[in-house]
Amino acid sequence: MKPLLTLDFVAETMKEWGTAEQVRHNRIRITATPETVRTAIINARELLECDRLITISAVDNGKTLELVYHLTGPHRSVISIAIELPRDKPEVPTMSDILPPAGIYERQIHDLLGIVFPGHPDLKRIMLNEDWPLEEYPLRKDWKKDPGTFYGGIPGERI
Amino acid sequence: MANVIVPIGPHHPALKEPVNFRIVADGERIVRLELDLSYNHRGIEKAAEQRDFIRVLPLLERVCGICSHSHSTVFVKGIEEIMELEIPPRARFIRTIIAELERMHSHLLWLGVAAHEVGFNTLFMWTWRDREAVQDTLEEMSGNRVHYGMNEVGGIRRDLTPSEVNAALARLPHLEERIREYAKMVNDQETLLIRFKGVGKLSRDEALAYGAVGPTARASGVDYDIRRDDPYLAYTVVPWNVVTDTSGDVYGRTRVRIGELQESIKIVRHCLENLPEGPIRVNAPKTAPKGEILSRYEAPRGELAHFIRTNGTDKVERVDIRTPTLANWTSVALCLVNQNLADIPVIVAAIDPCLSCTSRITVVNPKDRTTGIVTFDELRKQSHLRASMQERR
Repeated sequence: MKPLLTLDFVAETMKEWGTAEQVRHNRIRITATPETVRTAIINARELLECDRLITISAVDNGKTLELVYHLTGPHRSVISIAIELPRDKPEVPTMSDILPPAGIYERQIHDLLGIVFPGHPDLKRIMLNEDWPLEEYPLRKDWKKDPGTFYGGIPGERI
Repeated sequence: MANVIVPIGPHHPALKEPVNFRIVADGERIVRLELDLSYNHRGIEKAAEQRDFIRVLPLLERVCGICSHSHSTVFVKGIEEIMELEIPPRARFIRTIIAELERMHSHLLWLGVAAHEVGFNTLFMWTWRDREAVQDTLEEMSGNRVHYGMNEVGGIRRDLTPSEVNAALARLPHLEERIREYAKMVNDQETLLIRFKGVGKLSRDEALAYGAVGPTARASGVDYDIRRDDPYLAYTVVPWNVVTDTSGDVYGRTRVRIGELQESIKIVRHCLENLPEGPIRVNAPKTAPKGEILSRYEAPRGELAHFIRTNGTDKVERVDIRTPTLANWTSVALCLVNQNLADIPVIVAAIDPCLSCTSRITVVNPKDRTTGIVTFDELRKQSHLRASMQERR
């Protein structure tokens, strides 16, 4: 195991693409923008040796939709790159071509929160059942079940 | 020959769980795997946002029937870190004991399933019989075979009595002997060698690039283990080793899991023998301050991550669960390519997929062969009865 990354090193390396802060002893959070996130991840992979994507977390904070890419590598530090997307047009380029595991997480986020990832090879439904109505994203805070809509299962029964 | 699409599912080919595969095959050779999990979505993440920290734990435990302790531990660990709570050493040790017993029962279960997939049902019967010793220990300690309900924010809910500790210690030597036997079988049983060796190969670079986790990654020589890399519970004070293998096939994954069984026995024994005295919980505040954390945990199947965000109330703003199986699908899709159609069950089973099932309690009366459902009140009566029995002990 290599030594943990220091905040100074990460902040200096990544300063063009976002601001870094130390949140816990082995966690560094970088706040980026939807425009810089792709270059930030490419550079985190090359300059910070982050060869592993732990997960992409998605949060609806009521005003915007947030994505947090959690990366790690042989140094075992967790670099979290966070971005915010506008609710009316939540779009961010896919990372599945540079980090293959991102593909399945992006499909899941698209399904549950309706974020679009242009460039994704196969942004199909993965989590929700096949008869779930299109354009309904259950993990958004403002989502409510519409009594008149069919959400799957046996018609007429409650879900 | 033109490519043919073979649909498999919605019950997946290895275990009775919902996933739909579309296998693109050229003759008997697999060209590509298309995956769809959309059979049943239970909405646990959404439901978790509406429950306070006491009520959310039983829900999160039910994310998975096998690694239930993993889900509750990773969550309370995150919340405790946000609250800046230090839990007592005795609670840390008991959480570790349950966690490792859970790993043992999960790996023994897996070994049986893998043997069953290749038609070696004797091994399946043996491992599931030996797994009962682990299940009995868990039942004695927590009151349940699965869904132990041991965790709460600030510590654990039940203490271990000296008689429970001794009963658990007494079961370990026999288990140890059985696991040694399985370690030998994997290396010299013809049936297992033919079906496991060279099947579902994943190189070290592929495992890294495609984000494999847990025993699947460690069998390809990637030594990521959260218990060592991002230590939690008692793993910093207990002596143990990360098990890796270099063969990268189903054979390697079996060897890693058997090695982990042996390590788990070591950890459980150490924790039971060196159990610190003292309280088992601290009083936790009702609400958590505003904060966010990525809580990581080495579940039996690999790295489990809960991304938790709190907003100053007694509920979470968001809990985003990334299960190890979701991380492993990408690598399964890769290692199926160019394999034989008949090897799908064992390759898929080799990541030990867990798609979180739900079930209801059905009671079978063996005398007149009738079945029925237990009402909530009856269940409550039973649990009161059990609690009062335990107090008397």
